[in-house]
Amino acid sequence: MTAPTRPPTIPEAVAEATPGYRWILLWRWPLRLTHWVSAATVVVLIVTGFYIADPYFVTWGEASQHFLMGWARFLHFTAAAMIVAAAILRVYWLFAGSKWASWRALLPVGKRDWRNLVKMTKYYFLVRQPEMPHYLGHHPLQQLSYTAIYATVIIQVVTGFAMYGVSNPGGLFYTMFTTWLGPLLGGIQVVRFVHHALTWILVCFIPLHIYLAFRADVMDREGELSSIFSGGRFVRSDVRFEDE
Amino acid sequence: MFFPSSHPWVEGETLGEHLEERGVSRRDFLAYCAELGAVLGLSSMMTPKIAKALQDQQRPSVVWIQLQECTGCVESVIRTAHPSIGDLLLDIISLDYQHTLMAAAGHAAEAAGRAAMEEHYGNYVLVVTGSVPTKEDGIYTVIGGRTAKEILEEAAEGAAAVIAVGACAHWGNIQAARPNPTGAVGVSSIVKNKPVVNIAGCPPIADVVTASIVHFLTFGRIPALDFDGRPMFAYGKRVHDQCSRRAHFDAGQYVENFDDEAARKGWCLYRVGCKGPASFAPCPIIQWNNTTSWPIGAGHPCLGCTERNFWDQMTPFYNRLPDIAGFGVERKVDTIGAALAVGVTAGVAAHAVATGIHRARARRELPVVEKEVDRG
Repeated sequence: MTAPTRPPTIPEAVAEATPGYRWILLWRWPLRLTHWVSAATVVVLIVTGFYIADPYFVTWGEASQHFLMGWARFLHFTAAAMIVAAAILRVYWLFAGSKWASWRALLPVGKRDWRNLVKMTKYYFLVRQPEMPHYLGHHPLQQLSYTAIYATVIIQVVTGFAMYGVSNPGGLFYTMFTTWLGPLLGGIQVVRFVHHALTWILVCFIPLHIYLAFRADVMDREGELSSIFSGGRFVRSDVRFEDE
Repeated sequence: MFFPSSHPWVEGETLGEHLEERGVSRRDFLAYCAELGAVLGLSSMMTPKIAKALQDQQRPSVVWIQLQECTGCVESVIRTAHPSIGDLLLDIISLDYQHTLMAAAGHAAEAAGRAAMEEHYGNYVLVVTGSVPTKEDGIYTVIGGRTAKEILEEAAEGAAAVIAVGACAHWGNIQAARPNPTGAVGVSSIVKNKPVVNIAGCPPIADVVTASIVHFLTFGRIPALDFDGRPMFAYGKRVHDQCSRRAHFDAGQYVENFDDEAARKGWCLYRVGCKGPASFAPCPIIQWNNTTSWPIGAGHPCLGCTERNFWDQMTPFYNRLPDIAGFGVERKVDTIGAALAVGVTAGVAAHAVATGIHRARARRELPVVEKEVDRG
């Protein structure tokens, strides 16, 4: 990504005034938007999704006075539409984004990446090593886990649309998803089971992701957390990065 | 309305003449045609067309074969409380072979069936109930020395239309549930060269069978089908979207036990495993036994019997989510998921503590280096 000619931004000016440090822009706004929209919608989807799966609150009185499940489903479908929009933006950004957000950075491919994957795993198991690989973008273990999360979300979207389609037979979602996914998995109830079970992967991902992000910020002091807010990282000038 | 008749079919006689001979009034006949039109979802403008098509029929021949099944579908059709439907089904058509109902037995019955198929070759409607076992060359169902597959193939060859009645003929039903020991399959897996109408359900509503046959006689073609070969006029909508208890679903009012206050109030059966949201059937509209009631109306969750693989995908019938074969996980998917989530959180906390200890040790061992790094 070539930097356009413009006056330096505040972080760039700060980095310039701080000897030994530089500021690198990693994630431009489309990627950060994708991240925060996904974060917000996944929480809404998990909460409303578990209510739809097992409505543990009931309302009393006349049915006409309440619309609890109706609202839960409305929120679920709205949040689903938003995460799909975010996913479309992310797919576009795989081709238009920086090299750290590119499709080339989705999975570790080279021999060096796989060696570093072992090193990173050892690092997380607190094994002392002579030197640690440094990454600006995602290190190989992150690449694997984030791409697995992308895959999970895609399966959730497809199974979700297949279930959504049954309410309107002959409609767009019914034709595009329900008619083939139901028979493929052995019925719409199996689709429902897959959708439900995979939700737990997303639930488990949340504490893991937040902890590791904070930990990287505290331990490595390379501005990991700030990169998802401001888009860039302050890094020491003498550190060599694997993916620069 | 239709009384048992001593008037037999006369050669060359049309259905209109036949019914007149039997003392059926024009008014009753038109009312019946209007009723069938309603089941088919047709406008009342079509009633004269249905009446004309039916009254001009000359002894439409129907051959009804029963294969690997329980005869429940035949019971459903002949025991409808709707006398017009049940009687007329047996009266407007010439049911030339039906081994449960016909008077003849043994070789005489088989000969009658073969004669009807030869005489009306290319013109008769074939109704099939029961699945076709395919393992060990199909020996699991043998009638008159021939396997179900042979019987079906022979009968389908000269049929103008094939109507598969019931879940067995649709996809195999309980015989085809895991592990499907007899290799049971539905009619459409055997009959490939002509369209098969699947009247889904275990058993299906009799009116849907009658209406499909009448549709064929009226328009000369089978009704519009969905992706699973089921007629759209009956299986075009979800049970859930036509349900009389739907308002309670949207409101968040659910039965939790079959003897609780909510059950007495007639609330939604979603939490006790209703499969209405996954099932396409006309039950809420046409209902059963002369529109007396239907399962959800009577307080029992829908089992989803009109859907393929319902014994595998819809069970346990009183749970929302299905079982997964050979594994005790299914009902515990939430328990396992929650345990994983708690485990991850605990693991994260433990890892944070371990990181702290690890770092403190590293600092003790390498004080100089660490300080330099800190000065950065």
